[in-house]
Amino acid sequence: MTVFHFFNCAILTFGPHAVYYAATPLSEYDTLGTSIKAAIVYLVTALVKLVCLATFLKVSESDSFDPYQELLKALIGFVDVAGLYFALTQLTHRNISQNHKFQAVGLGWAFADSVLHRLAPLWVGARGLEFTWDYILQGLEANANLILSLSLAALGSLMWLRKNKPKTLIPIIYTCAGIVATMPSILSYLRQGLGWQLPKVIGFELFTSLAMASISWQLFAICQRPSS
Amino acid sequence: MGSSSSERKSAAILEPTMYTASMMAVVVLILLAACADLCDGVTVVDVYRLVQYDLSGVPFGSRFASLNHHAASSLFSPGTAAASGGDSAAAADLSRTVLILPLRGLNLTLIREYIGQRKILGGLLFLLPSIFNPENVDNTGGTDDVPAEGVSKDILVELERLLIHANVPFPVYFAFEHDDINAVLADVERTDVAGQPATATTGGYKFVVAAREPRKIGSPTLTNIQGWLPGLKADGDSNQLPTIAIVASYDTFGAAPALSVGSDSNGSGVVALLEIARLFSILYSNPGTRGRYNLLFGLTSGGPYNYNGTYKWLHSFDQRLRESIDYAICLNSIGSSGDKLWVHVSKPPENEYIKKIFEGISSVAEELGLNVGLKHKKINISNPRVAWEHEQFSRLRVTAATLSELSLAPELLESTGGLSDNRHVVNEASVVRSVKLVAESLARHIYNHEGKNINVFADDSNLAVNPSYIRSWLDLLSRTPRVAPFLSKSDPLIVALKKELTDHTVEVNVQHEVLDGLFTFYDSTSGKLHIYQVASVTFDLLLLLVLGSYLIILFSFLVITTRGLDDLISIFRRPPSRKVKTA
Repeated sequence: MTVFHFFNCAILTFGPHAVYYAATPLSEYDTLGTSIKAAIVYLVTALVKLVCLATFLKVSESDSFDPYQELLKALIGFVDVAGLYFALTQLTHRNISQNHKFQAVGLGWAFADSVLHRLAPLWVGARGLEFTWDYILQGLEANANLILSLSLAALGSLMWLRKNKPKTLIPIIYTCAGIVATMPSILSYLRQGLGWQLPKVIGFELFTSLAMASISWQLFAICQRPSS
Repeated sequence: MGSSSSERKSAAILEPTMYTASMMAVVVLILLAACADLCDGVTVVDVYRLVQYDLSGVPFGSRFASLNHHAASSLFSPGTAAASGGDSAAAADLSRTVLILPLRGLNLTLIREYIGQRKILGGLLFLLPSIFNPENVDNTGGTDDVPAEGVSKDILVELERLLIHANVPFPVYFAFEHDDINAVLADVERTDVAGQPATATTGGYKFVVAAREPRKIGSPTLTNIQGWLPGLKADGDSNQLPTIAIVASYDTFGAAPALSVGSDSNGSGVVALLEIARLFSILYSNPGTRGRYNLLFGLTSGGPYNYNGTYKWLHSFDQRLRESIDYAICLNSIGSSGDKLWVHVSKPPENEYIKKIFEGISSVAEELGLNVGLKHKKINISNPRVAWEHEQFSRLRVTAATLSELSLAPELLESTGGLSDNRHVVNEASVVRSVKLVAESLARHIYNHEGKNINVFADDSNLAVNPSYIRSWLDLLSRTPRVAPFLSKSDPLIVALKKELTDHTVEVNVQHEVLDGLFTFYDSTSGKLHIYQVASVTFDLLLLLVLGSYLIILFSFLVITTRGLDDLISIFRRPPSRKVKTA
C-alpha cells in the first residue's frame, strides 16, 4: 500500500511536467532537447549556489529568521536568475519561436528542480508504513514551482530576448521578475519568521504562482501584439 | 558553430560527473534540512514478551514473537448481540488484529475463555501501570495509588498464572503505560466505539515488532556460588568441625523474563544472606571471636525449577562435608513479612534437633517482636516436585529448614518473582529484622549463648545490621532480571555476587551446571514495538482518482488554451498516432 502512496505522490510531483509537455505544442515541435539542456543548466546553477551557500553562510543554531542571512540567501538566489539567463540566451536552440522557447526552458528548469529537491525525500519517506500528508504537500509545492518557473522564464524571455517592448511595461516586467525570483526567500520568511504551518505556506505559494502566471501571461500577450 | 559543438561535447563529458556530484551534494543538504520533519511520526515502545518454554516436551507460553497487524482494543466488535454470537463473529475478525488491553479494568474471565478455547488472535499487548516498571523506582509505594495498586496487583498475579500455564499460539507482549501509547490506545478505543475496527481498508494503527523466530536456548546454565568461612580448629583436634549452611536461591521466573526482578522472591533472601555473611566475616576475622563452626554460604540457581541447582550443588559435595553439616537454613521471601514468619521443616516437629533449632529461633523472635510459626511438610521421594529448598537437603538426610513469610508451599512456578514482585512490595525493615533474627539465632547456637541474654548484633555496635547495605543491594537486585536460562556464565550479576562473597568469605567456588532436560526455554524476551499510523487502501485509491482527474483536467486545459478546443476534440476522435510533425 505504501508503494501505492509513493506512486500517487510521484505522479502528483512529476505528472504535471509530463502533461504540460504532452498537451502544449511543445511536443509537436520536439523541444525536448531544449528542456534537457535547461535541466542541465539548472543542475550547474544548483551546484554553484551550494558552493556559495557553504562559503558565505554561517550555520545558525536557532531556527529563527535572521534578516542578514536571509538577505545573503536571496542574493545567492539571484544566481538562479543568472542561470536562467544563460539557459535562455546563451544556449543554442533549434529554430523555435520565443513562445515555445521560454516554455521549454521553464519546463526543463522546473523538472530538474523537482527531481533534485523532491525525488529523494519521496523515495525514502513515502514508502514507509507511516502515513503523513507531507508528501502530498510536497507534490503541490512542485506544481506551484512549475508555474513559477514558467512565469520566470516568460518574464526572462521578455526582458532579455525581446528587443521592442512598450516603454511603460518595462518597470512592471522587472518588478514581477523580481518578485518571482525572490519567492524562495519570501516563503522561508513566512515559514520561519512568521511561523506559518506548511499547508498554509503551500496554499500561499499556489495562489501567488497562479497570480504571477496570469500577470506574466498578460504581459507576454501585450508584448506580443505589436510584433504580430 | 565549432565553438558550440565543442561546448556541447565538453558539456556532455562533464555531465555525468557534475550530475552525480551536484545530485549527491544537494540531496545531502536537503536530507539534513528535512531531517527534523522526517524523523517524527513513528512511536517506538519497549515491549517484553511472554515467556516461552517447554515442560517435558509440552509447550507453554507464547509461541510466536514477530508481530505485524492492526490494533484494536476490545475482544468484541460493538453491535454484536449475544456474547456467544459475538465470539464466533469476532474470532474471524481478530485473527489479524493485535488487542491492546490495559490492566486496569481487565476482564480476566473473557481472556481465560479466549485462551482456553485456543482462539487465534493477531497478538495481545497488555498495558501495565508504570508502577510495575523495574526502572521506575523513584517513589517507594505511592500513597495515593495504594488501593488501586492492590487490585491491579491481584489481577496481575492472576493473569500471570493464567498465561504461564497456557499454550498461546500468538505473540503476547507487556508494555508500560506511557503518554505515547496511552494516546494511541485512546485513539484506537475511539474508532472501535465508532464501529470501525481497523483493517487494511479502513486505516488506523499498525503494530510492528520485528523479531526473528524464537530459538531454543541450548544448555542453559545454572551457576551456584558458595562461600566458605572456616571455623576455629583447636590445636590437636583432627576431627572435622561441624558446618552450618545458609542458603538462598537467587534466580527468578515470571511471565515476562525481561521483567522478572523478583525483589521479594528471592531478592530479599539473597540480600539477607549477603548481610549475614558480612556480619559473620567481621566476627570470624578475629580468631578470638571465631566460632567452632564452619559457615557455608550458598547462592543457588534453579530455584523455580524444583531447586535443581541446589540438588546439583549438594550432589557435588564431598561425602565428609555433607555429613559435617549440622543444619542448613534456607531463606526464601523474607522482605514483606509484616510480623509473621514461618519455619518450614521436613523432619517431624517432635524431632529433638528440630525442636532445639526452632526454640532458638523463636526466643530471638520474641525479643525482636516477631511471631514465628513452625510448619511441617512431609517429603515424598517419588514426587519430583520440590516446593522448598530445604527439601533438597532433607532428601540427602541433612537437617534443614526454610525461613519464609509464605505459609503455604508454592506450586510449580509460583511465587518465583513475577511481574508484580518489584521494589515496591519489599521493605527494608522486614529484611533487617529477618537478618537480625537469623544472625542472632545462629550466633547463639555457635557461641552457646542459649538462654543467656546476650545481643551479639546489637544496634549501634560495629556488628549492627547495616540498612543502607541492604537497601543498595535490594535496589540493585530489583533492577536486574534474573531468569537462569538467560544468565550467561559470566553475567555481570554473577560476577558481582561472586565478588561480594569473596569480600566476606575466605574461599569462594563457582559451580556451573546445566539445567535438567525437563525445562526448555526459548529466547527473544524483549523487543521494540513500532506503532505506525496507516492510511487505508480506499484512501490511496481515492487519491489516485483525484490525481488522475486533476491531470486529465490539466491536460485538457492546456490543450484548449494553447491549441484550441478543436484540437482537444480531434485527439479523442482520431487515434493518437500522429505524433511526428515536421517543424
